[in-house]
Amino acid sequence: MRALVFPAILVLVMAVIGHVLTLHLVPSVIMGTAMNRLAAQGAALHSFRLAPRTTPQTQLVVRPSPDLAYSICAYHLRGPQPLRIRAAAYDDYGSISFFDARTNNFATIRIEETAPDSSGPDILLRGPAGGEPDGLFDGHDLKSPTPRGLILIRRLAPTQQAYDRVKAIASADVCALSSSAGTISE
Amino acid sequence: MLGHSVMVLILRSLALTLTGLLLGGVSAFWMSGLFGAAPVTPASDISLEGWVSDWAIGSTSANAYTRARVARHGLLALAKEEAVYFIRNRDDDGDPLKASCHYELQGGRQDAAWWSITLYDEESRLPMNDDEALSIDATTVGDADTWTAVISQTRPEDRLWLSSRGAEQFDLTLRLYRPLPSLLATPETRLNPPSIRKRHCGAGS
Repeated sequence: MRALVFPAILVLVMAVIGHVLTLHLVPSVIMGTAMNRLAAQGAALHSFRLAPRTTPQTQLVVRPSPDLAYSICAYHLRGPQPLRIRAAAYDDYGSISFFDARTNNFATIRIEETAPDSSGPDILLRGPAGGEPDGLFDGHDLKSPTPRGLILIRRLAPTQQAYDRVKAIASADVCALSSSAGTISE
Repeated sequence: MLGHSVMVLILRSLALTLTGLLLGGVSAFWMSGLFGAAPVTPASDISLEGWVSDWAIGSTSANAYTRARVARHGLLALAKEEAVYFIRNRDDDGDPLKASCHYELQGGRQDAAWWSITLYDEESRLPMNDDEALSIDATTVGDADTWTAVISQTRPEDRLWLSSRGAEQFDLTLRLYRPLPSLLATPETRLNPPSIRKRHCGAGS
């Protein structure tokens, strides 16, 4: 009987470690896979790309909404340089959401929160090692909990016509490294 | 002789270690609903007439099981202040939703800026068909207080339609964007959960 105690304890301790480790790693691994898949589809780092209209044939991630148009920007903020983000104004539902490498939605900003005649919300995203923005910046100042992550613009587009409207404005979306809080180095 | 005993002890410990790690990993997958089609698990914290949700989705406060399940079945989901998600995989009789059956989906207004209902297959993907009928949303039903849609494999005449063609078993996701604070505070009284009535099963569904 005593001979079974050590093996039982070892299996139990390892099971707990395996359980916790799996739960910890799964979100990061799935997020990393999604980012790699986006890169394989031609999405560049630090640049918004409007995904094709969501259909069964074009879906890239699980449970996409066919009613929304998605623009995606992957980031990797290793140093102090922040990312400057701007979503072109849209006259229907629209949001910019930020996801860290652990899948946390650490910020969401509504596109229509800005004046109708403006070019959309102005956002500065800093990595964990990023410094403070200069005093002149008066937009949204965000800090990513992890160096890597994804930025997603969702715009309501339940029809081909609506998607085409998004397509016409999405080229004005900006996701680019900024040399300082005020200038974009594209 | 001693070397042999030590080697046996090391190999036995290694086998036990691997067995433990494997058991831990498999149990984590099972408890998070990571095996196959399990977007709905007992861990979901809100359940209203078969529609289940978890207010912690997308948030840093989500527990490890929710986080893993969402990564697998709903990657890039928003936090509840922007959107809440309800999933339902059974009809009003409690039976699993199947493409071989014909259903009537009935709903009404929601306490949100915009809503949609989308059909997904067992792998949490849009089923492979070209019917362009995988979702209905607030813009589709207009200002109607109540609306009715058909879920079937074939297009009905003059009815709102969700196509289940190519799905076998499926589930529905109700998305509520910009939910009103009242809905977030008391979903049990503020959500208007759509009903799913089975009409018939078999050929012609």
